[in-house]
Amino acid sequence: MTDRSVANVTCLGCGCACDDITVVVKQDSIAEARNACALGAAWFGDGTVPAETRVNGRPASLEQALTEAARLLGGAKRPLVYLAADISCETQREGVAIADRLHAATDSLAATATTAVLAAQRRGRAGATLGEIRQHADLVVFWAVDPSTRYPRYGSRYVVEPRGVAAPQGRNSRTLIAVDVGESRGPADADGRVAVAPTDEVDGLEMMRAAVQGRAGGADARFRTVVELARRMTEARYVAIVADGEPGLVPADPARAEALITLAQALNGPTRCALSTLRGGGNRSGADAVLTWQTGFPFAVDFARGHPSYHPQAGAAALLGAGEVDAALVIGTPATLPVPVAAGLAGIRSVAIGPRASAATFQPAVAVDTGVAGIHEGGTAFRMDDVPLPLRPSLEGGGARAALVTVRALRDRLGA
Amino acid sequence: MSQPTRLRIAGGTVYDPANGVEGVVHDVCIEGDRIVAELPASAPRLDARGMVVMPGGVDIHAHVAGSSVNHARRLLPEEHAADPAPAPRLADGPPGRSGTGGTVPSTFATGYRYAGLGYTTAMEAAVAPLAARHAHAELDDTPIIDAGFFVLLGNDDYLLRQIAAGETVRARDYAAWLLGVTRAYAIKVVNPGGVAVWKGGGGGADGGRNVRGLDDAVGSSAVTPRKILETLAGAANALALPHPVHIHCNNLGQPGNAATTLESMRTLAGQRAHFTHLQFHSYGGALGKAWASAAREVIEYVNAHAEVSVDVGQVMFGPATTVTADGPVEQLLYASSGRKWVNIDIELESGCGIVPYAYRERAAVAALQWAVGLELFLLANDPWRVVLSTDHPNGGTFLSYPELIRLLMDRAYRDERLKGVNQKLLAGNALLDGLSREYTLGEIAIITRAGPARLLGLTGKGHLGPGADADVTIYANDADRAKMFATPRYVIKAGTLVVEDGQLRRAPTGRRLTVRPDYDAAVTKDLKRFFDEYACVGFENYGAEPVA
Repeated sequence: MTDRSVANVTCLGCGCACDDITVVVKQDSIAEARNACALGAAWFGDGTVPAETRVNGRPASLEQALTEAARLLGGAKRPLVYLAADISCETQREGVAIADRLHAATDSLAATATTAVLAAQRRGRAGATLGEIRQHADLVVFWAVDPSTRYPRYGSRYVVEPRGVAAPQGRNSRTLIAVDVGESRGPADADGRVAVAPTDEVDGLEMMRAAVQGRAGGADARFRTVVELARRMTEARYVAIVADGEPGLVPADPARAEALITLAQALNGPTRCALSTLRGGGNRSGADAVLTWQTGFPFAVDFARGHPSYHPQAGAAALLGAGEVDAALVIGTPATLPVPVAAGLAGIRSVAIGPRASAATFQPAVAVDTGVAGIHEGGTAFRMDDVPLPLRPSLEGGGARAALVTVRALRDRLGA
Repeated sequence: MSQPTRLRIAGGTVYDPANGVEGVVHDVCIEGDRIVAELPASAPRLDARGMVVMPGGVDIHAHVAGSSVNHARRLLPEEHAADPAPAPRLADGPPGRSGTGGTVPSTFATGYRYAGLGYTTAMEAAVAPLAARHAHAELDDTPIIDAGFFVLLGNDDYLLRQIAAGETVRARDYAAWLLGVTRAYAIKVVNPGGVAVWKGGGGGADGGRNVRGLDDAVGSSAVTPRKILETLAGAANALALPHPVHIHCNNLGQPGNAATTLESMRTLAGQRAHFTHLQFHSYGGALGKAWASAAREVIEYVNAHAEVSVDVGQVMFGPATTVTADGPVEQLLYASSGRKWVNIDIELESGCGIVPYAYRERAAVAALQWAVGLELFLLANDPWRVVLSTDHPNGGTFLSYPELIRLLMDRAYRDERLKGVNQKLLAGNALLDGLSREYTLGEIAIITRAGPARLLGLTGKGHLGPGADADVTIYANDADRAKMFATPRYVIKAGTLVVEDGQLRRAPTGRRLTVRPDYDAAVTKDLKRFFDEYACVGFENYGAEPVA
């Protein structure tokens, strides 16, 4: 392959899925990912991935690996199919088809945001795509999160800096408020700050909602500043509340997740408001979307009864922890697995197909290395706000095996 | 029986209104995926004696695939848990897929259930261009039916700018470009201008929540709902699209909205236009006061104007999920119902609102809505322009079509049901005067297949003449029309026998229905500038075409 650059590349380093990356390829490896943040640059790396195929730790042909994988999975009593990071929606669809055929339990990396997803299932959402917040928001409230750490370009590309149709001065058209909840702090450069004690957080959100709805708020001094913030929010034209959906410093609290949603919904009485829930990368939002359209449920789907059933409190980690699973298929980058899932997999026979599968710490019986979706193969991925984006491979045809083709071949072996 | 390359459907009673055939016993011959005039006597036969043969059903308006539908699915885990759909046992091809049902079924269940109902074509009614790629991916996972979608225009920033600048031709080029890059089938406009106002934020005398009338300003005083309608109807007709602009009028679900609906129709007088879920737009009374039916006035206008077509959007009692690009309407519904609510503002383009709902016989407004829909059907003169729909899943699911057919065909049953509903708002309703009309099987064939196919410009659909797509549904004749239409004995899709003796046996992949009108490529330079200025998806990554 010749040196070249590929423009309009989508990065899956975090849920921002920035699609303005220009990848410069020199001597068959990535020399630069222009526009990418540090996380993105690390995600692209130099594009080098191992290309091993192993059965029981020994090098094998793809034929041998697929045969062993089909034998292992086809003979399992209680199989698990797990969708990890860095695969396209097209590959995720094949993975769910396999799970359906095997009557397997299924889960994905989307389960990291379980608390936020379940709260949205109970109450709904008041949301917007990121670009709409950019167009309209004049007041942005960062609720216990500074996106610059885990979602580095969230502010510069979407919600804070860029000019919007109703925010002609970009950053200067907006007021930023940081809500600091204990150690979970908002951005350092906010225009204003409000401190909330962690023990007062949920009550504070409820007090804010009461104030927005014009219900008598208590005169409790602890809530004076948040109630004042709520009043400010009702006076804004379009409010964005930014909160992290991924695990943080403290365990996720269902009541807090629900209170954030209902506050955002209530603000749509007197004004407009969108809650922006930050999600991680690797196309986990795609896994949520695919499972939802194919099964009706976003994660923790079990086909054991011959149809999808939903066990949000008994996903992959719980099933593995309870010793229920006797074989697993992991599709995607094993290194992205949540720790309890990886630990559980170490105790059972498994098949791993994905980027760096051969380096999986849980030592799969069958490991097939593939390329990374968005670097070595194309397809579709979802941004954290459920906007679909095409993937443009910069190193396609460079020797890395395509995950989609490999998983489809396994599906054929399994008659799925 | 394996997939037939040739098949003679022998001795059935055929209803093929597009070819003037009403209840005539004759054979229908299939070769490959087409209807043919004749086959050799040795061709395989399917004995349809005593059965009713019609073209496959065509749904002109349903919400079955895409971003907003998936948001609705995600919101309804209880419904899905209550309605599991095990994989069908198919005779050949890849194994069937399991799924879940409820008011918003999973994709595979959607395809199987449509086919099980004798429907072989469906149009997804509202896709934001930004999410077109998502809608296609879902349709790829929706088996059997041929499907396309209507792409949302009319609240999008770029179009409104062209209208403000008087750039009618550029607006048309833009619409043509958008249809092509999103691989859509028709132009849909939802609450023209109203969603843009809703997204624009709070403030202003009216709170900036919505538009009320056709001449309200949308940002610029040069942009009004009327101008949006004129621009998009003009574009669709100038581009000679197979289906005209598909309009969801302003003020959906509001008492007194019939005035807006009629004014919208008059604005486009003389031009082809399709007004969707008309039931939700045919109310008298006034905001904050009583509701009443205005079905008679509205349908009389439709009857007198051959350029207008509609689908009814019948409300059926039972569970529903309201899902629409009309964000402000759902905020009102949420405020009054207090149930779950999803709102998603979609950048530079559109909105999305979802509220699960239930229509109950004892609720006065639901009873009125039910009666208004039936009035529209029963007072319509020309079935070719008044299509059966429930705005699935808004007024009820597509699985309720057989019950709706029974209400239309069976006056005694209808009158009995009428007695059981809340009468509070029904004074003056034509139903109470004893509308005696009963739809014939020929008329049902028109409003469920021949009519919608013709209105969509699908020349191979909705009829059984030589050259037509071999999409055929065969029903066992039954005096209980709900039962008859709920369980066809045989369904043939593109020549493949998909339902056999009432069982789903095959699930071939359906075709995608798209258009790609020509346009002056100069518009793309201007669009690129607009994208660079405001969008946060790259111009090159927009739409739903495969990337190079």
